[in-house]
Amino acid sequence: MNARALTSEVLLGIIPIALAVALWQAISSFGYAPVTLLPPPGLVFSRLAQQLGTSNFQHEIASTLFRLFAGFSIAVILGVGIGLAAATNPVVNAVVRPIVRVLAPLPKVALYPALLLLLGFGHESKITLVAADALFPILLSTYYGASMVEQKLIWSAMAAGTPRRQILFKVVLPAAVPSILTGCRIGLVISCIVVFLAEMISSTDGLGHMLVTAARTFQAVDMFVPLITISLLGLILNGLLQGLRSYLLRGFPEV
Amino acid sequence: MMARVLSRLAPLLACLGLLAIWQAGSLMLNTESFPTAIEAVRAVPSILGDRESVINILDSLRRMAIAFAAALLFAIPLGLMMGRSRLVASFFNPLLMITYPVPKAALMPIIMLWLGVGDLAKMLVIFLGVSLPVIYHSFQGAKAVEEKMLWSGAAMGLSAPQRMIRIVLPAALPEILTGCRTGLVLALITMVTSEMIARQSGAGNILFNALDMGQYDTVYAMIIIIGAMGIGLDAAFEKLRSRLVRWSEPGFDIPLSFA
Repeated sequence: MNARALTSEVLLGIIPIALAVALWQAISSFGYAPVTLLPPPGLVFSRLAQQLGTSNFQHEIASTLFRLFAGFSIAVILGVGIGLAAATNPVVNAVVRPIVRVLAPLPKVALYPALLLLLGFGHESKITLVAADALFPILLSTYYGASMVEQKLIWSAMAAGTPRRQILFKVVLPAAVPSILTGCRIGLVISCIVVFLAEMISSTDGLGHMLVTAARTFQAVDMFVPLITISLLGLILNGLLQGLRSYLLRGFPEV
Repeated sequence: MMARVLSRLAPLLACLGLLAIWQAGSLMLNTESFPTAIEAVRAVPSILGDRESVINILDSLRRMAIAFAAALLFAIPLGLMMGRSRLVASFFNPLLMITYPVPKAALMPIIMLWLGVGDLAKMLVIFLGVSLPVIYHSFQGAKAVEEKMLWSGAAMGLSAPQRMIRIVLPAALPEILTGCRTGLVLALITMVTSEMIARQSGAGNILFNALDMGQYDTVYAMIIIIGAMGIGLDAAFEKLRSRLVRWSEPGFDIPLSFA
């Protein structure tokens, strides 16, 4: 695709967002909704800009990001590890598969009260919830990626004299990377969602907590600010992961 | 034969195993806030026997079903159109991308300001939560339809809408159903969280009220009930899926994406 087509596509994509903001502006400026219910976009974005400068707000973002990254990292380590083990070892597979089958469709948010009671109201319960929710997409896509590795690749490596133990790291893992990264992408979005929800349920800081406090005092402007912030954070993190993906997969054929 | 029986029983064994780990863990920790699995399971009948709780839970399920159905009716056509037309896809993609990381249940406080705490607000939130994965998977499914089939359809005189229904929809069905499965679990998650935020009725309300009042048996029993709903709905959907798309390659028996 050439650059011009790309630009026009981007422009086309901006239209609905611009329309949504315009509609939002119109509803509030023609007085269909009072400012207390739907503050105009200008007010929300200037509030966001103003908040971004305050150390308080930065602190909230930092604690949300900390939980997000901690949970996500645990999920990546466990997910890739268990996924690879299950794909390469039939015994592990026989144990892991039914457990995953039961746990994957379980609504993890419902476990949160139990986590609160067990781990307390601090970071631990939230990080565990994020990890539990992000784990399964990463685990499953690692598993499928690793079990779809072409047998020919493994045979070639063996023919070239690669020891059996090294095949896992030299052949299977690299071949599964595209699939693992897809899982990580899904896991990352889920982490954003879950960390916010956990902070809404019980927290003393973080973006989710900001929303709840604003909702209690009916500060509509302050309710929009954390929502827009988490959306932006999600976009930025997604972009970073996309960058990592194109760096890691620079030798891979386009999928 | 033996292996088949075993593979059928495996999920059940896994459930029992997890309950056993729970039991052992709570016996070891021995704190009041972590009752044993047996105590929690024993509290389940008393919740399901209580008329009010049952009405609450059924209410939740009704909201979820309506919102889920509405989301499918909206999301599948949109996703298919995005998959077949670059124009439509590039029009909607960025909008979907910025809404994806927003927790839909977190919109609850704002939507409650507009629509009140009633059914409508909760159903709207579930609708939003379900729509995104279904749109995404329908989009992917429709994009992957072989051009040749469409050309043959066109050569045989099918109009564009006919091609959409008779070629694209069936060809994308396996992928669409994967999206629906993801959406189903998400609907349950959003249902619980929305009821937790708008404490008024429903399964989520029972769960979090019990937490606030320190009725730990009820907390864990509700977790079992909601978990069982998730596993049961997912298994039922998987049955339906394997019936509908028996012709497609044997799919994975676990949903791949949970966004």
